[in-house]
Amino acid sequence: MKTLVAALFLAFSLLARAEDVLHLYIWNNYISDATAARFEAWCGCRLKQDYYSDNEEMLAKLEAGAVGYDLLVPTGNAVQTLIRKGELKPLDPSRLPHFANIDPAYLTPWYDPGNRYSVPYAYTVTLIGYNATRLQELGLPTDTWALIFEPRYLEKLKGRVTVLNSARELMAAAMRYLGHSVQDTDPKKWQAARDLILRAKPYWATFSNSTYIKDLAIGNIWVAHGYSNDMFRAREDAKDARRPFAIGFAIPKEGAVLAVDNFVIHKSSPRPDLAHRFMDFMLQGENAADVSNLIGAGNPNAAARPHIRPEVAREAAIFPTAADLKRLEMLRDLEPKERRLLSRLWTEIKVK
Amino acid sequence: MRAPTSPARAPERLTRWLVTLPPTLFLVVFFLVPAVIMAAASFRQPGEFGGLAPLAQGGLGLEAYRFVFEDVIYAWILAKSFAVAGLTTALCLLLAYPLALLIARSPRRRRNLLVLLVILPFASNLLIRVYAWIIILGPLNLLYSPVAVIAGMVYVHLPFMILPLYTNLEKHDPALLEAAQDLGAGTWTRFRRVTLPLSLPGILSGSALVFIPVLGMFAIPELLGGTGDLLIGNLIKEQFLDNRDWPLGATLSLLLTVAVLAVAAITAGFARRRKEAP
Amino acid sequence: MRRIPWLWAAALAAYAFLYLPLAVVVLFSFNDSALNASWVGFTTAWYGKLLSDPAMLQAAGNSLFIAAVSSTAATVLGTMAGISMQRWRPRFLPFLVLTPVAMPEILLGVSLLLFFRQVLDLTLGLFSILIAHITFSIGFVAIIVRARLAGMDESIFEAARDLGASPWRGFVRVTLPLILPAIAAGFLMSFTLSIDDFVITFFVAGVGVTTLPLQIYSMIKVAVTPEVNAVSSLLMALTLTLIALAARFAPETLKGSR
Repeated sequence: MKTLVAALFLAFSLLARAEDVLHLYIWNNYISDATAARFEAWCGCRLKQDYYSDNEEMLAKLEAGAVGYDLLVPTGNAVQTLIRKGELKPLDPSRLPHFANIDPAYLTPWYDPGNRYSVPYAYTVTLIGYNATRLQELGLPTDTWALIFEPRYLEKLKGRVTVLNSARELMAAAMRYLGHSVQDTDPKKWQAARDLILRAKPYWATFSNSTYIKDLAIGNIWVAHGYSNDMFRAREDAKDARRPFAIGFAIPKEGAVLAVDNFVIHKSSPRPDLAHRFMDFMLQGENAADVSNLIGAGNPNAAARPHIRPEVAREAAIFPTAADLKRLEMLRDLEPKERRLLSRLWTEIKVK
Repeated sequence: MRAPTSPARAPERLTRWLVTLPPTLFLVVFFLVPAVIMAAASFRQPGEFGGLAPLAQGGLGLEAYRFVFEDVIYAWILAKSFAVAGLTTALCLLLAYPLALLIARSPRRRRNLLVLLVILPFASNLLIRVYAWIIILGPLNLLYSPVAVIAGMVYVHLPFMILPLYTNLEKHDPALLEAAQDLGAGTWTRFRRVTLPLSLPGILSGSALVFIPVLGMFAIPELLGGTGDLLIGNLIKEQFLDNRDWPLGATLSLLLTVAVLAVAAITAGFARRRKEAP
Repeated sequence: MRRIPWLWAAALAAYAFLYLPLAVVVLFSFNDSALNASWVGFTTAWYGKLLSDPAMLQAAGNSLFIAAVSSTAATVLGTMAGISMQRWRPRFLPFLVLTPVAMPEILLGVSLLLFFRQVLDLTLGLFSILIAHITFSIGFVAIIVRARLAGMDESIFEAARDLGASPWRGFVRVTLPLILPAIAAGFLMSFTLSIDDFVITFFVAGVGVTTLPLQIYSMIKVAVTPEVNAVSSLLMALTLTLIALAARFAPETLKGSR
């Protein structure tokens, strides 16, 4: 038995060593199998993915000493954290000939002026996904945070709503609903947001970061607070399984959180050469289009536009209109003191 | 047993060290030292990007403790976790006792098979067991409720109760029960006066083996629980993987350990008193 | 007593409670629906998909390797600890052996994470998982071995020694055969503990080293296809095989650890 196991392991490790391997530490469900396979064939190397479901999970792992990842895919604020912490290797522009494909609107962001470290990959909006059939029957609106915060709507939805299990995201939704910026860290406003959340909480089913994809597709849950690409997936899953209802998603009119996710090279990267090849591959129009066509994320790549399916490109919740963009904000990092206060409020939200 | 004749001969002493030292060293390095470091981390400051602030910059302090003790909310969640652990333990006991009794009173040949049937699910993957409950509870509209959390907890920990109970019940001398029967005691009386008191040590060790792991569990509340089902395990996990507050995580961990050790000590004391009683 | 119907009823209810979810898992591994919410039709396609899924197979390979190595090491160290505790009653060792067993898993995982990070400056990876698994398995082996020794007549060992056997020969000739079933039991128990562990591995796993429980967790979060059920069913079959082996070679394991 033991020899067998040893032999198996040896076979596996030989298999891994026989070729070049690129280690990618990326969000769950953020690169399609088809894209990954195409890259492997093109580059003649292996792409190995580890997954996280939250920026903080990835940051904690790195803080704990994880090394050996070539590429990470952090959101803007996490890019800034990683830069300040000295965790990243600068990019080599000469090895990224397709970088010019990026839409100028997404160049030199506040978290990385001059794009010294990051290549924008895709963006998502934290919004509301819903069971369109049910909500129509109930005569409820679909474009406002009131759907998850207002008892007069929630009464019809009791036990059918999930919200993200993330202090930052949920507080951001509440702050926008109350008319504040998500950047605002005024304790008084935070407390008001907490009160809003506590008032709505009895009507919610659970805090969920990703089981809501399945719950929406099955029909257990009718309204979910979550990421646009997850809602896209729930909608496709429900369609494929021919469920007797349709899933929709929309950006609330009060505004929401925009997350731009970027490729960055970790300082411990054993293969920066492969990392650059991967990024340049992903910068090419048809490859860049996959993340919109197959994953349902917004696309900062101008050359990708012609390759994006028209029905996806038309989707305002995936490609926000100029008016919507004005109401979208990115999250910024908090100071340790603010984090402890937020954690305190969050614990209260969870326990009460 | 300390050998009664034992002249501590040189080879004997050498053997003793050769046998005792490796596991002791391993556990000191990989269990005791980490445990002590965790205790120390609770006095430090959270780093800006997670982890711990450098000592020179942050220094040591009781801040995390003050933060926890200033606020009844943390005591409340600890109490709630203990309540969930207690309820889980009680339900496990109710489910496990008849089963353990049945196995213990079965013919010897059949016992191994019956015990085997108990350990089979016990040795399957934790997440698989939880996942099965998602499938079952979903259509029943019970998912994301305290009921789901308790069901998952009981399910995952049931064998930890059955096994110690069974090993205890199996040792009972049937002659005792026969004697009681001869004295005219009914079934219930025999159970209450003979079987139950004799099985107390089994009940206690089974309870400890259920109670303690339930306290540290975070996957079950996360996957099966509703909005109000956060337990101390989740809170600790969040400090490390969500909130970049390692000192607070360490403090909460430490307080939980102390609470668990206190419960263990009380249980052990109780068991000892029982044993001393005739 | 055995004929009392309520005892049977209650016991059967407990068995049903134990087996209902497992039946669901196995049944749904043959479900012809990616969404896997309700029964659609029979297919074995998910097993085929599983067998051509390199990430899943790699995770399974890692899990088996980690389980084999860590349980071997834990068995050696745990057996030593068990013998030592029974023969020489050291004061400190029982505390060291029993506390990790009694400690909530999450504390163990977090404290090892802090230790690897703060003291050893160790790269997380296969090695850190192995160390963690050995640490939490030693206690279980030690308890079983000690329980086995406690029931034995000390005079046998005395006799072996009086006949002039060296400690090592005495161990190999007398002690080892007697406690072999407990050692085997301890090995199998650590093996299943290791292959089952999620919480501690979650904290100490490093880049590119995914174990089966971690892999399943990432799938449960995003795409719960019947492939998860298929791999679960295969894992249970493996467990069944291990238990059958345990039953064959060490029947008294099945009587519990104390």
